[in-house]
Amino acid sequence: MIEVRGLTKTFAGRGGLLGHRAVPALREVDLQLPPGGAVSVIGESGCGKTTLGRILCGLESYDSGSLLLDGRDAKELSISERRERFQRIQLIHQDPYSALNPTRTIRQTMLASLRLRASATKRSQAWTERRANELLELVGLDPSYCLPRYPHMLSGGMRQRVVIARALTVDPDALVADEAVAMIDVSLRLGILGILRKLRADLGLSLLFITHDVAAARYVGEDGQLYVLYRGQVVEQGPVDEIVQRPTHPYTQCLLSAIPVMRGLERPGPDRLVPLRPLDDNVEPPGCLLADRCPQAQDDCLLGRPPLVSAGAEGHLHACLHPEARSVVATPEPTGSSTR
Amino acid sequence: MRRRQSRDTASETAAGNEDGFEGLRVRDLTIVYGTEAGELAAVRGVDLDLPAGTITGLVGESGSGKSTLALAMLNAVPSPGRITAGSVTMSGVGDITRLRGRALRQVRGGVLGYVFQASQNSLNPLKRVGAQLLDLARSHGVAQPRLILGEAAKLCERMGLDATRVLSSYQHELSGGMRQRVGIVFALVLNAKVLILDEPTTALDMLSQAAVLEVVREIHAERRLATVIITHDIAVVAEMADRMVVTYAGRVVESGTAGDVLRYAAHPYTKALLRSIPRISGDISAAEPLPGRPPDLASIPTVGCVFRERCPLAMPICSDVDPATVSVGPGHTTACHLAAGPLAVPEQSEEVAG
Ligand SMILES: Nc1ncnc2c1ncn2[C@@H]1O[C@H](COP(=O)(O)OP(=O)(O)OP(=O)(O)O)[C@@H](O)[C@H]1O
Ligand SMILES: Nc1ncnc2c1ncn2[C@@H]1O[C@H](COP(=O)(O)OP(=O)(O)OP(=O)(O)O)[C@@H](O)[C@H]1O
Ligand code: SF4
Ligand code: SF4
Ligand SMILES: [Mg+2]
Ligand SMILES: [Mg+2]
Repeated sequence: MIEVRGLTKTFAGRGGLLGHRAVPALREVDLQLPPGGAVSVIGESGCGKTTLGRILCGLESYDSGSLLLDGRDAKELSISERRERFQRIQLIHQDPYSALNPTRTIRQTMLASLRLRASATKRSQAWTERRANELLELVGLDPSYCLPRYPHMLSGGMRQRVVIARALTVDPDALVADEAVAMIDVSLRLGILGILRKLRADLGLSLLFITHDVAAARYVGEDGQLYVLYRGQVVEQGPVDEIVQRPTHPYTQCLLSAIPVMRGLERPGPDRLVPLRPLDDNVEPPGCLLADRCPQAQDDCLLGRPPLVSAGAEGHLHACLHPEARSVVATPEPTGSSTR
Repeated sequence: MRRRQSRDTASETAAGNEDGFEGLRVRDLTIVYGTEAGELAAVRGVDLDLPAGTITGLVGESGSGKSTLALAMLNAVPSPGRITAGSVTMSGVGDITRLRGRALRQVRGGVLGYVFQASQNSLNPLKRVGAQLLDLARSHGVAQPRLILGEAAKLCERMGLDATRVLSSYQHELSGGMRQRVGIVFALVLNAKVLILDEPTTALDMLSQAAVLEVVREIHAERRLATVIITHDIAVVAEMADRMVVTYAGRVVESGTAGDVLRYAAHPYTKALLRSIPRISGDISAAEPLPGRPPDLASIPTVGCVFRERCPLAMPICSDVDPATVSVGPGHTTACHLAAGPLAVPEQSEEVAG
């Protein structure tokens, strides 16, 4: 089990137009990723998704709060324990090309990882070859085609599968997929999502799935949780379809309302909501962080930051003073109309 | 706010194509790239109408030739590519593939507004946005270039950008979503009649995407543009477009109103593509991956149907004969032997279809 409690991270600030202003990237985030479970994270650009994923992988520091790995605080682990433990949480990021060394064939890439594994687990060199084949097959690739090739000779979808296969060489417990299919062609995306789904089911891997594509989140983790981040704060969380079908926080409602509707096949949700203005992270409203953009804001929203509280249904939490369930996502048109 | 400015359409029509068509018309266009294996076609025999007042969505897999087609509409296919046949005719301008030099530069970025794919990087990193707008105005012979800045500022505000800040920024000071919108400002600032957007919202988050699309929709309607949105995200096209054109391996395999193509998809590729998209509601397990992978230039069949290797319904004739483009409904066409009528359908393939 991977768990964070009260996780807070502020970047010292950026140069340029914005001056050297501190940027709060995460604000007291609590999150649990159970073995074999899936947590999907959505939110606008810059709301802290990547920062969260990197902290979980041990690649980024945090200011306060704690990261618990199977109940043990990561800060209390010895250096070797840390290394060993974080290696079992593998990051897959969006660009499968930059993730692979262009001067190495897929065989060299896979074997380099597997040799380390072989010596750590006292296994033979013959095992590494066998395992490379096994893992490539597991992610739906033909080993004899891929092994001798360089990354540039493979399509984006194939490269991303190689990246996943390489991540699996260390027998991870968890994958953090940070927009892992964003750069993959639509027609090949479902294949990659299917692999993530299969790895959860067959190997019991847990998955932190960071995405802008909520339908993809349903596909890999329909049984999992959906967290909505806004300016580093979790503003709503709960079972995926509960949040998608009955969101109560205006920010979630705005996000889900913005999903393009497949007109002809789907009807738009009846209660779609649009934010009053684009995100301006130069202003920090004193109360609710959404107050300057929220179409539902009232005077009291500026008084204090609403805490994350139960929204009624099991596991559904929201942080809003005036929550109201709205139906904002598209629904399929009744079937039977699809022949002419 | 869908104001439609009543422009002097009569005079535009007079200057238009002989048959009164207003907009951009592509006929029998073929574009090849020079490769080690010789010149290979990336776009072959494409016909396409982009009428004024219509948003056309062009969808297809990576490598299907969408960007190549867009570049050809600007007569800007880079070497080793070249247009080997066909025409791109714009009402009031003529065949763009025949324009050269100054005349061509006037048209590009003038009446033909465009945002290239990965426009994230197409701004000059060393110049402020405002200065680049002035360059654009000067190179198009605008009498008072400074007036352009006012027009650009108005467009910026409409896209939810702080105009003063954006115009005085360098590219690296803008987020991806801001750059994308700045690209659209550049495309529209000189009163374009045709707007070509290649992957305008790829890599944007949901809210930025919706905001960009909303502005495009408004300005399109106000100015009665001929707009083409190129994307591999069918949902964007389904949301935005009046007409939808599906490309595969450099060919148009289906086109029609967006509603018809989505509801009554006729081509096996379109059907498979639609099935491969997970949806926000309903049975998520209904999504099915499309088997195989997109062909590259060297493996596109030159005879027969380009989709046959991945087509679950392929028949012997599909390997030997190019499927003709046939009508399957009002304004709805497809290039597939199965749609060409019962004569073309051997009996066994019906079973496979069922
Ligand atoms: N190394 C850094 N230095 C300074 N600020 C940073 C750094 N990394 C991230 N930030 C800032 O922290 C905030 C959160 O960034 P993060 O990358 O986690 O967002 P995100 O949700 O992943 O966004 P996107 O959807 O664009 O990937 C942003 O405001 C970002 O600009
Ligand atoms: N400069 C070039 N030289 C050789 N081949 C090229 C060149 N540019 C593109 N191609 C090839 O032409 C075909 C069409 O490419 P194009 O970029 O038009 O596709 P696309 O549909 O826009 O794809 P994407 O969705 O990835 O943007 C591809 O097979 C591509 O590899
Ligand atoms: S607390 Fe107020 S401003 Fe914040 S989301 Fe709820 S209604 Fe909107
Ligand atoms: S022409 Fe043949 S191979 Fe091509 S899509 Fe139709 S049935 Fe399939
Ligand atoms: Mg990110
Ligand atoms: Mg392209």
